[in-house]
Amino acid sequence: MKGFARKRGRYVAHLDRTERTILSRVVADTALLLGTRLDIELPAAEPDSLASLDWSADEIAEPTDPALARLLPAASEDDGIAGEFRRLTESDLRAAKVDRLRMVWGALLAPGERLEVAPEMAMDWAAALTDVRLVIAERLDIQTDDDAEAVYEAATRRRRPGDEVDEVRSALASLYMALTWLQESLLTVMLRAL
Amino acid sequence: MSALPDVEQQEQTEVVVETDRPWVTVVWNDPVNLMSYVSYVFQTYFGYDEAKASQLMLQVHHEGRAAVSTGARETMEVDVQAMHSYGLWATMQQESAG
Repeated sequence: MKGFARKRGRYVAHLDRTERTILSRVVADTALLLGTRLDIELPAAEPDSLASLDWSADEIAEPTDPALARLLPAASEDDGIAGEFRRLTESDLRAAKVDRLRMVWGALLAPGERLEVAPEMAMDWAAALTDVRLVIAERLDIQTDDDAEAVYEAATRRRRPGDEVDEVRSALASLYMALTWLQESLLTVMLRAL
Repeated sequence: MSALPDVEQQEQTEVVVETDRPWVTVVWNDPVNLMSYVSYVFQTYFGYDEAKASQLMLQVHHEGRAAVSTGARETMEVDVQAMHSYGLWATMQQESAG
Protein backbone atom coordinates (compact mmCIF):
# COMPACT_ATOMS: atom_id res chain seq x y z
CA MET A 1 0.00 0.00 0.00
CA LYS A 2 1.23 3.45 -0.93
CA GLY A 3 -0.55 6.33 0.78
CA PHE A 4 -2.13 9.34 -0.87
CA ALA A 5 0.05 11.95 -2.54
CA ARG A 6 -0.90 14.90 -4.69
CA LYS A 7 -0.22 14.31 -8.37
CA ARG A 8 -1.29 16.75 -11.07
CA GLY A 9 -4.03 18.16 -8.89
CA ARG A 10 -5.42 14.78 -7.86
CA TYR A 11 -4.89 12.62 -4.79
CA VAL A 12 -3.33 9.30 -5.75
CA ALA A 13 -2.72 6.16 -3.67
CA HIS A 14 -1.72 2.63 -4.66
CA LEU A 15 -3.38 -0.48 -3.27
CA ASP A 16 -2.71 -3.95 -4.62
CA ARG A 17 -5.47 -6.39 -5.51
CA THR A 18 -5.49 -8.12 -2.11
CA GLU A 19 -5.63 -4.82 -0.23
CA ARG A 20 -8.46 -3.59 -2.45
CA THR A 21 -10.43 -6.80 -1.95
CA ILE A 22 -10.06 -6.70 1.84
CA LEU A 23 -10.89 -3.01 1.99
CA SER A 24 -13.90 -3.37 -0.33
CA ARG A 25 -15.27 -6.08 1.99
CA VAL A 26 -15.12 -3.95 5.11
CA VAL A 27 -16.68 -1.07 3.16
CA ALA A 28 -19.52 -3.39 2.08
CA ASP A 29 -19.84 -4.70 5.67
CA THR A 30 -20.22 -1.14 6.94
CA ALA A 31 -22.96 -0.42 4.37
CA LEU A 32 -24.67 -3.68 5.35
CA LEU A 33 -24.62 -2.59 8.97
CA LEU A 34 -26.41 0.56 7.78
CA GLY A 35 -29.00 -1.65 6.07
CA THR A 36 -27.84 -1.73 2.44
CA ARG A 37 -26.22 -4.52 0.42
CA LEU A 38 -23.82 -2.91 -2.05
CA ASP A 39 -23.47 -5.99 -4.24
CA ILE A 40 -27.13 -6.03 -5.26
CA GLU A 41 -28.52 -3.69 -7.89
CA LEU A 42 -31.93 -2.45 -6.84
CA PRO A 43 -34.60 -2.29 -9.54
CA ALA A 44 -34.71 1.31 -10.73
CA ALA A 45 -38.31 1.94 -9.70
CA GLU A 46 -38.07 0.57 -6.20
CA PRO A 47 -35.84 2.90 -4.18
CA ASP A 48 -38.19 5.87 -4.49
CA SER A 49 -41.34 4.02 -3.52
CA LEU A 50 -39.53 2.50 -0.57
CA ALA A 51 -37.98 5.79 0.44
CA SER A 52 -41.38 7.42 0.63
CA LEU A 53 -42.39 4.82 3.18
CA ASP A 54 -39.27 5.49 5.19
CA TRP A 55 -40.62 8.50 6.98
CA SER A 56 -42.66 7.56 9.96
CA ALA A 57 -44.17 9.30 12.93
CA ASP A 58 -43.15 6.33 15.05
CA GLU A 59 -40.21 6.52 17.36
CA ILE A 60 -37.00 4.98 16.06
CA ALA A 61 -34.99 3.40 18.84
CA GLU A 62 -31.27 3.93 19.25
CA PRO A 63 -29.48 1.02 17.52
CA THR A 64 -28.55 -1.81 19.87
CA ASP A 65 -25.41 -2.76 17.95
CA PRO A 66 -22.76 -0.44 19.46
CA ALA A 67 -21.01 -0.02 16.09
CA LEU A 68 -24.24 1.10 14.42
CA ALA A 69 -25.00 3.30 17.41
CA ARG A 70 -21.64 4.98 16.84
CA LEU A 71 -22.51 5.66 13.17
CA LEU A 72 -25.95 6.98 14.15
CA PRO A 73 -25.37 8.44 17.61
CA ALA A 74 -27.86 10.12 19.92
CA ALA A 75 -28.01 13.86 19.21
CA SER A 76 -28.81 14.81 22.79
CA GLU A 77 -28.55 13.60 26.36
CA ASP A 78 -32.26 14.44 26.52
CA ASP A 79 -34.11 11.34 25.26
CA GLY A 80 -37.03 13.40 23.91
CA ILE A 81 -34.79 15.65 21.82
CA ALA A 82 -32.64 12.70 20.71
CA GLY A 83 -35.72 10.70 19.69
CA GLU A 84 -37.23 13.53 17.65
CA PHE A 85 -33.88 14.20 15.96
CA ARG A 86 -33.48 10.52 15.09
CA ARG A 87 -37.01 10.32 13.67
CA LEU A 88 -36.37 13.29 11.40
CA THR A 89 -32.77 12.68 10.31
CA GLU A 90 -31.73 9.06 10.68
CA SER A 91 -32.90 7.84 7.29
CA ASP A 92 -31.09 10.73 5.51
CA LEU A 93 -27.96 10.06 7.53
CA ARG A 94 -28.00 6.37 6.65
CA ALA A 95 -28.50 7.18 2.96
CA ALA A 96 -25.66 9.74 2.91
CA LYS A 97 -23.26 7.29 4.54
CA VAL A 98 -24.27 4.43 2.23
CA ASP A 99 -23.85 6.66 -0.87
CA ARG A 100 -20.28 7.49 0.14
CA LEU A 101 -19.47 3.87 0.94
CA ARG A 102 -20.88 2.82 -2.43
CA MET A 103 -18.68 5.37 -4.21
CA VAL A 104 -15.55 4.12 -2.39
CA TRP A 105 -16.55 0.49 -2.94
CA GLY A 106 -16.91 1.08 -6.68
CA ALA A 107 -13.48 2.74 -6.87
CA LEU A 108 -11.86 -0.16 -4.98
CA LEU A 109 -13.37 -2.72 -7.35
CA ALA A 110 -12.08 -0.89 -10.44
CA PRO A 111 -9.12 -2.60 -12.13
CA GLY A 112 -5.52 -1.60 -11.48
CA GLU A 113 -3.61 -0.59 -8.36
CA ARG A 114 -3.87 3.16 -8.78
CA LEU A 115 -6.54 4.87 -6.71
CA GLU A 116 -7.26 8.39 -7.90
CA VAL A 117 -9.43 10.79 -5.91
CA ALA A 118 -10.54 14.17 -7.26
CA PRO A 119 -10.07 16.89 -4.60
CA GLU A 120 -13.82 17.63 -4.56
CA MET A 121 -14.46 13.96 -3.66
CA ALA A 122 -11.75 13.80 -0.99
CA MET A 123 -14.05 14.70 1.91
CA ASP A 124 -16.46 11.90 0.91
CA TRP A 125 -13.52 9.50 0.91
CA ALA A 126 -12.25 10.71 4.28
CA ALA A 127 -15.74 10.47 5.81
CA ALA A 128 -16.30 6.96 4.41
CA LEU A 129 -12.94 5.83 5.81
CA THR A 130 -13.98 7.30 9.15
CA ASP A 131 -17.20 5.28 9.21
CA VAL A 132 -15.34 2.06 8.37
CA ARG A 133 -12.75 2.78 11.08
CA LEU A 134 -15.48 3.55 13.63
CA VAL A 135 -17.04 0.13 13.02
CA ILE A 136 -13.72 -1.78 13.19
CA ALA A 137 -12.71 0.16 16.33
CA GLU A 138 -15.96 -0.88 17.98
CA ARG A 139 -15.29 -4.53 17.08
CA LEU A 140 -11.80 -4.17 18.60
CA ASP A 141 -13.45 -2.63 21.67
CA ILE A 142 -11.45 0.59 21.34
CA GLN A 143 -13.27 2.88 23.78
CA THR A 144 -10.51 5.19 24.97
CA ASP A 145 -7.31 6.74 23.61
CA ASP A 146 -5.40 4.23 25.78
CA ASP A 147 -7.26 1.32 24.12
CA ALA A 148 -6.24 2.66 20.71
CA GLU A 149 -2.63 2.96 21.87
CA ALA A 150 -2.72 -0.63 23.19
CA VAL A 151 -4.02 -1.95 19.86
CA TYR A 152 -1.23 -0.11 18.08
CA GLU A 153 1.42 -1.48 20.46
CA ALA A 154 0.13 -5.04 20.26
CA ALA A 155 0.13 -4.92 16.47
CA THR A 156 3.67 -3.58 16.20
CA ARG A 157 5.22 -5.67 18.99
CA ARG A 158 7.57 -8.38 17.82
CA ARG A 159 6.02 -11.78 18.50
CA ARG A 160 7.93 -14.28 20.59
CA PRO A 161 7.61 -18.06 20.25
CA GLY A 162 4.87 -19.28 22.53
CA ASP A 163 2.92 -15.99 22.48
CA GLU A 164 -0.79 -16.63 22.41
CA VAL A 165 -2.25 -14.75 19.47
CA ASP A 166 -5.89 -14.18 18.60
CA GLU A 167 -5.48 -14.31 14.82
CA VAL A 168 -8.82 -12.71 14.00
CA ARG A 169 -8.25 -9.82 16.36
CA SER A 170 -4.72 -9.45 15.13
CA ALA A 171 -5.87 -9.26 11.49
CA LEU A 172 -8.56 -6.75 12.41
CA ALA A 173 -6.01 -4.63 14.27
CA SER A 174 -3.67 -4.65 11.25
CA LEU A 175 -6.56 -3.63 9.00
CA TYR A 176 -7.51 -0.84 11.40
CA MET A 177 -3.97 0.49 11.42
CA ALA A 178 -3.67 0.32 7.64
CA LEU A 179 -6.93 2.28 7.26
CA THR A 180 -5.80 4.83 9.83
CA TRP A 181 -2.53 5.28 7.97
CA LEU A 182 -4.31 5.57 4.61
CA GLN A 183 -6.74 8.15 5.98
CA GLU A 184 -3.94 10.14 7.60
CA SER A 185 -2.09 10.29 4.26
CA LEU A 186 -5.28 11.56 2.61
CA LEU A 187 -5.78 14.21 5.28
CA THR A 188 -2.19 15.37 4.87
CA VAL A 189 -2.79 16.26 1.22
CA MET A 190 -6.26 17.64 1.95
CA LEU A 191 -5.00 19.99 4.68
CA ARG A 192 -2.16 21.17 2.45
CA ALA A 193 -4.73 22.16 -0.20
CA LEU A 194 -6.75 24.39 2.17
CA MET B 1 -57.21 46.92 20.26
CA SER B 2 -56.63 44.06 22.54
CA ALA B 3 -58.66 43.89 25.66
CA LEU B 4 -55.91 42.13 27.53
CA PRO B 5 -52.69 43.91 26.59
CA ASP B 6 -50.91 43.08 29.82
CA VAL B 7 -51.42 39.35 29.61
CA GLU B 8 -50.34 39.22 25.98
CA GLN B 9 -47.22 41.19 26.61
CA GLN B 10 -46.29 39.03 29.56
CA GLU B 11 -46.71 35.84 27.55
CA GLN B 12 -44.58 37.16 24.74
CA THR B 13 -41.80 38.09 27.13
CA GLU B 14 -41.72 34.59 28.56
CA VAL B 15 -41.50 33.03 25.12
CA VAL B 16 -38.68 35.36 24.16
CA VAL B 17 -36.68 34.54 27.29
CA GLU B 18 -37.05 30.81 26.66
CA THR B 19 -36.04 30.90 23.00
CA ASP B 20 -33.32 33.49 23.59
CA ARG B 21 -31.20 31.05 25.54
CA PRO B 22 -28.98 29.83 22.72
CA TRP B 23 -28.30 26.24 21.84
CA VAL B 24 -24.83 24.82 21.43
CA THR B 25 -23.35 21.98 19.40
CA VAL B 26 -20.93 19.95 21.50
CA VAL B 27 -18.35 17.63 19.93
CA TRP B 28 -17.10 14.82 22.18
CA ASN B 29 -13.73 13.11 22.16
CA ASP B 30 -13.46 9.65 20.68
CA PRO B 31 -10.42 7.41 20.21
CA VAL B 32 -10.94 6.89 16.47
CA ASN B 33 -11.15 10.25 14.74
CA LEU B 34 -7.83 11.66 13.60
CA MET B 35 -6.81 15.07 14.91
CA SER B 36 -6.10 16.14 11.32
CA TYR B 37 -9.58 15.04 10.23
CA VAL B 38 -11.37 16.82 13.08
CA SER B 39 -9.40 19.98 12.37
CA TYR B 40 -10.25 19.69 8.65
CA VAL B 41 -13.96 19.32 9.41
CA PHE B 42 -13.94 22.34 11.74
CA GLN B 43 -12.16 24.44 9.10
CA THR B 44 -14.27 23.44 6.12
CA TYR B 45 -17.71 23.01 7.69
CA PHE B 46 -17.70 25.92 10.15
CA GLY B 47 -15.27 28.10 8.18
CA TYR B 48 -12.96 28.50 11.20
CA ASP B 49 -9.36 29.47 10.52
CA GLU B 50 -6.61 26.96 11.21
CA ALA B 51 -5.80 28.39 14.65
CA LYS B 52 -9.40 28.31 15.89
CA ALA B 53 -10.03 24.85 14.41
CA SER B 54 -6.88 23.48 16.06
CA GLN B 55 -7.74 25.08 19.39
CA LEU B 56 -11.23 23.48 19.35
CA MET B 57 -9.84 20.14 18.20
CA LEU B 58 -7.29 20.15 21.06
CA GLN B 59 -10.00 21.14 23.53
CA VAL B 60 -12.05 18.11 22.42
CA HIS B 61 -8.96 15.90 22.71
CA HIS B 62 -7.77 17.09 26.13
CA GLU B 63 -10.98 18.11 27.88
CA GLY B 64 -13.21 15.46 26.33
CA ARG B 65 -15.59 17.93 24.68
CA ALA B 66 -15.89 21.39 23.18
CA ALA B 67 -18.75 23.66 22.18
CA VAL B 68 -18.12 24.21 18.48
CA SER B 69 -21.10 26.33 17.46
CA THR B 70 -23.87 28.39 19.05
CA GLY B 71 -27.22 29.54 17.73
CA ALA B 72 -30.86 28.75 17.23
CA ARG B 73 -32.01 25.20 17.83
CA GLU B 74 -32.74 24.61 14.14
CA THR B 75 -29.22 25.71 13.20
CA MET B 76 -27.70 23.41 15.81
CA GLU B 77 -29.78 20.52 14.45
CA VAL B 78 -28.18 21.11 11.06
CA ASP B 79 -24.71 21.28 12.62
CA VAL B 80 -25.18 18.10 14.68
CA GLN B 81 -26.47 16.23 11.66
CA ALA B 82 -23.43 17.38 9.67
CA MET B 83 -21.06 16.25 12.45
CA HIS B 84 -22.78 12.84 12.56
CA SER B 85 -22.45 12.61 8.80
CA TYR B 86 -18.69 13.17 9.17
CA GLY B 87 -18.53 10.51 11.90
CA LEU B 88 -17.91 12.94 14.75
CA TRP B 89 -19.76 12.34 17.98
CA ALA B 90 -21.86 15.47 18.57
CA THR B 91 -24.83 16.47 20.69
CA MET B 92 -26.85 19.64 21.09
CA GLN B 93 -28.07 21.28 24.24
CA GLN B 94 -29.55 24.53 25.35
CA GLU B 95 -27.14 26.69 27.28
CA SER B 96 -28.06 26.72 30.94
CA ALA B 97 -29.63 29.91 32.22
CA GLY B 98 -27.41 32.42 33.95
